[in-house]
Amino acid sequence: MIAVTEQKKEKAYRLLKSSALLQQIMFRYMMEGQIASEEGNLAWVTSGFPVEIPVAMNIGISYPEQYGAVVGSQRMGPELCGFAEGLGYSQELCSYARSSIGSVKHPDQSPLGGLPTPQALLACNNICGTVLRWYDTVSELTGAPVFLLDTPPLEGEQPEHHRDYVRKGLDKLVDFLEQVFGKPLADERMQEVALYSTEAVGLWTQCLEACKAKPSPLNCADRFLTMAPIVSLRGTDYVKDFYVSLLAEVKERISNGVGAIKEEKIRLLWDNIPPWFTIFRFFNGLAKRGVVFPADTYTHAWTGSIEGDNLFDSVVSIYSNVYLNKGLDAKIDKMCQLIQNYDLDGFIMFSVRSCKRYSLGQLVSKELVTERTGVPGVVIEGDMVDSRLFNEAQIQMRVDALLEMFA
Amino acid sequence: MGGHTFGIGLDIGSTTAKGVLIDETRKILAQHIQSMGASAAAAGREVLGVLTEVSGVQASDHKIVGTGYGRAMIEKSSENVTEITCHSIGVNSLNPDIRMLVDVGGQDSKVIRISSGGRPTDFEINDKCSAGTGRFLEVMAHVLEVSINELGPLALQSESPSKISSTCTVFAESEVVGRIGSGDSPADIAAGVHMAMASKIGTLAKRVGIIKPVGLTGGVALNPAFRHYLSENLEAEIWIPELPQLTGALGAAILALQ
Repeated sequence: MIAVTEQKKEKAYRLLKSSALLQQIMFRYMMEGQIASEEGNLAWVTSGFPVEIPVAMNIGISYPEQYGAVVGSQRMGPELCGFAEGLGYSQELCSYARSSIGSVKHPDQSPLGGLPTPQALLACNNICGTVLRWYDTVSELTGAPVFLLDTPPLEGEQPEHHRDYVRKGLDKLVDFLEQVFGKPLADERMQEVALYSTEAVGLWTQCLEACKAKPSPLNCADRFLTMAPIVSLRGTDYVKDFYVSLLAEVKERISNGVGAIKEEKIRLLWDNIPPWFTIFRFFNGLAKRGVVFPADTYTHAWTGSIEGDNLFDSVVSIYSNVYLNKGLDAKIDKMCQLIQNYDLDGFIMFSVRSCKRYSLGQLVSKELVTERTGVPGVVIEGDMVDSRLFNEAQIQMRVDALLEMFA
Repeated sequence: MGGHTFGIGLDIGSTTAKGVLIDETRKILAQHIQSMGASAAAAGREVLGVLTEVSGVQASDHKIVGTGYGRAMIEKSSENVTEITCHSIGVNSLNPDIRMLVDVGGQDSKVIRISSGGRPTDFEINDKCSAGTGRFLEVMAHVLEVSINELGPLALQSESPSKISSTCTVFAESEVVGRIGSGDSPADIAAGVHMAMASKIGTLAKRVGIIKPVGLTGGVALNPAFRHYLSENLEAEIWIPELPQLTGALGAAILALQ
């Protein structure tokens, strides 16, 4: 068997051995969500929600945005978004929201039979304002109450009054969860969950930073897939196991001089959520041409550790200061840092039609990032889930033209 | 093989298929433009046939570089290169002073910054919306019941251009119909249409940063009213090659020689 495998032509990109463990852990996540729902103990949360608090209260968790990625990957986006559009929602609305609403209306026609029914909906608007209205709609359809953790956008340093305001929101969150689920928050359990979260985030951060190596041990699609547990399972005791395994594989690749792709020639930065419906075709297609993405702005969003004497203060700081909650200057700074620290040759900004919060200001950012770093970039347009908004020929031409600049 | 004796460039665009055959001194031995038709592959074959006939050089025996949206469909091309790079190289060979190029084709409009070596260093494309493309003018010519070749000269007769929205071909078409109903003259409406288009492309150009003089290529460069209003919008002198539709194919042919 081994001999036969070795004789096969080596692919332009390399599969991660940790993928098998990833599948197992994500299967467990889904099963636990299902059981929690059946027990009347499930909350849906947004990707930037301080999930450690409900986890510490032993409440089950499901992530509609992660489900949106599943819908996209299974190329069900147009169909599920279409259900929401049939209800009157605009095609301009976030395709995660549309596919989520569509799947709640038609679970029998949705991947995995839809997400398990929630008993509470926890939205934090640090990633966008749409999440609140999206969850309001799901609330109308399921009867689950909505809690909004309001984190007003930040420009520069977080002022004290901003911290106090978000902190009060966390206290209200605990009251809300106690009321809905009838469970108290124990300090010891919160400390335990914060530790699990911090350990996993630390390992994940090491995996990301390892991509400074040449060749890069991980490509964009690798990170977008392996970020699933850090998004969905922060604060659980078993999430760490996966990142220990991933980091070991990453280190092994580096020590053997093995990259994520066979022949690394051009190193690029990726900005925004990926087009889930064509993620492998897109990134592996570029891998065949020697293009690797050692860094992106998206997967670097989950790198804050909950530490210190006052865990809630730490939570306030991390979740208020996420990438999407800050001004354009902070985003441009981040892109420039990544380009410099990861020694990148250029960048691709994906303008996601239905994710206005992430895509706003990209044209200006592109100019400023090029001005400051001296590397070229390109903006391509499409969507994360709704493949009807993705024109391959137009994207191909822009990407090809960028690559020709390196010739 | 080192340098090639002949180079062939094929530019298979959305509206027309173009071809250029040059010798090693970059002298154009044959050139051809024709309508695209339904098949990119067939259009490519036909253009090659004409280049062979005109030049007496068997085009398919020499290196062919393909460009344009249909480049992947060209059967005998040795290499495919984007029109961004090909236009830059083509224009640079004709006028090395041009650092900024506006190319307006049937399906999209592009603004390209060109390095002193002739390579693109930045670009912006409008291809989601037809309001800055040749298609926009075609639709408007149809509404005004003139041919596309008559539209530009008609617009230049205007002394008081109508105001036309620059946002969308579909809405602009209704707006033109409304203007006709209000009694605006065809010349004024035609001038408004060109101004709207120049404004749309002007915005794209300002994003890349205007460096004078500005080069203009693509089929729309043949339209005198568009040249006039673009020059006015950009406050820049416009340079246009003798055959503005062929610069992409010329750039491809130059790459084929290398």
